Order: sequence, then structure tokens, then C-alpha cells
Amino acid sequence: MSELRPTAINEVFGVLVASFPGKPTDKAVDSLQEQLLQEVDRRQPRGVILDISRVTTLDSFFARVISETANMVTLMGGDVIVVGMRPSVAITAAELGYGFEDITTARNVDHALSMLGITDSTIEQSGDANE
Amino acid sequence: MSERGDNTDNELGRLEGRGQGSSGSVQIASEDDILLARQTVRDLAEEMGFRLTDVTRIVTAVSELARNIHLYADEGVMRWQKLDRPGRTGLELVFDDDGPGIDNLEAVLQGNYSSSEGMGRGLSGTRELADEFDIETGESGTTITIRKWSRD
Repeated sequence: MSELRPTAINEVFGVLVASFPGKPTDKAVDSLQEQLLQEVDRRQPRGVILDISRVTTLDSFFARVISETANMVTLMGGDVIVVGMRPSVAITAAELGYGFEDITTARNVDHALSMLGITDSTIEQSGDANE
Repeated sequence: MSERGDNTDNELGRLEGRGQGSSGSVQIASEDDILLARQTVRDLAEEMGFRLTDVTRIVTAVSELARNIHLYADEGVMRWQKLDRPGRTGLELVFDDDGPGIDNLEAVLQGNYSSSEGMGRGLSGTRELADEFDIETGESGTTITIRKWSRD
């Protein structure tokens, strides 16, 4: 059995940032989804960022989890932004027809934070929010 | 930070995929083996000089097919072979299992059928991502062959 890594969920300026690992097992992805929803419930963040910048393979399972997680956060009343899709992943996702039509996307975490009303200068004072 | 499966079989499979050989195989018997199959093919495809976009297409297809084996047949094998033809090189991947087969193949291939696990495009998507795609399925199991050619 592979060990699950500590879940990568951080809070930045009242925003929850969940970083999906680059090569997760299905269980790790499911676990991250569950922990994220619990954190959303517990911390009532002003927004949620799903960072997939380390993801190099977006297959149908992973795509479903991301889309489903975004929907769940929305149902719970949160603003959710998916960030950091790599170009090669975007090409493959588009070819497979995963449009993420109803999901807000951003280039990176900083971009998403600014969309959520947090300014660049605030972020620079507190270091890089990405990793 | 690196992540890896941690059983001996995985390490063996990984070594097979890494070497200079022209063929090999990865047993798919657990969820970790999906990752192992992906990593093996990623290493191979990169070594063979596939463009990043094609590497991503191939590895995504591997992820779908290896997961299908894990979910529906419990276990199976992915065999890989480098293809050397005049003017082009390619990678052939065969996914073989003794599972129950696919009942509604037409619907599945058209992307009209969705299990609870995916987005209903796993198999049809795989066909899109590969240059060649062949499937044989029946009560005694399923064999799916995909090929991707490197563009020189």
C-alpha cells in the first residue's frame, strides 16, 4: 500500500488552496476531496482554489473528481476556481471533451486570488502562496 | 517531492520500462499499478522522443485502460513494445485481462455510456488519443491494443 501524503490544503487570506499532487492514486484524490469539503464546512472560506498545476495526467476519473469537487463547493456556497492546468493537459482535456463548462478557471493561484479580491501587494508581503 | 509505489513488483516493472529494451510488461493488480503503468509509459515515450503533447495523450490513455482493468477485471497486464518501421517509430501498448468483457461496446465506444466512476468518455476518449485502436472483448476477457507513432 502506498502511504497517503499529508493533504495539501492551505489557507491564504481566508481562501482555501487545495493542491492536487502530480501523481496521485485514486484514493489520494478521493481523500483530498473529502478533506477539502470538511475544511470548507469548518473554516467557511471566502473562496476555494483547486490547484492542478502539478497534474500531468488528467484522465476521466481525475476530471470527474475535479468537476465534482467544484460543484460540491459551489453547492456549499463557496466560490471555486480551478487553476494551473498545463498546456499539454489542456489539449488532451479538450480532445476528450472535458470542457469544465461551468467552472471558473485561472492561470495560477495569484491570478485566482486577485479574482477573489486579494491584491498582489498583500500576497508579496506574505510570500509565495503557490507551494 | 517524489511519490512512488513501494512494493518490489512495482520496482521490477519500473526497471523494465526504464531500460533500453524494446518490449516489456507491467502487471496490473492494484491501484498503485495504474500509476506504475503510467510512469513506465511516460519514461518510454519521453525516451523515444515523443512530443510532450503526445506523451500526455499516451499516458492519459494508459491511465484509462489500466484503471478499466483494475475496476472491471481486477487484474491484467499491460504489454509494451517499441515499433520500428521505415521512416517512423511507434509505441504499441496491449492491455489484456480475463475479466467479464464489455457488454455494451458500441455505446461505450461512442461515449454514450457512463459508469459512476468516470465521465463516460474513458474508452471513447482513449480511441481519440491513440493513432490506432483495436478492441476484442468477450466472456473470456478483453484485449485492447493502441499504437502511437512518433512524428519525425
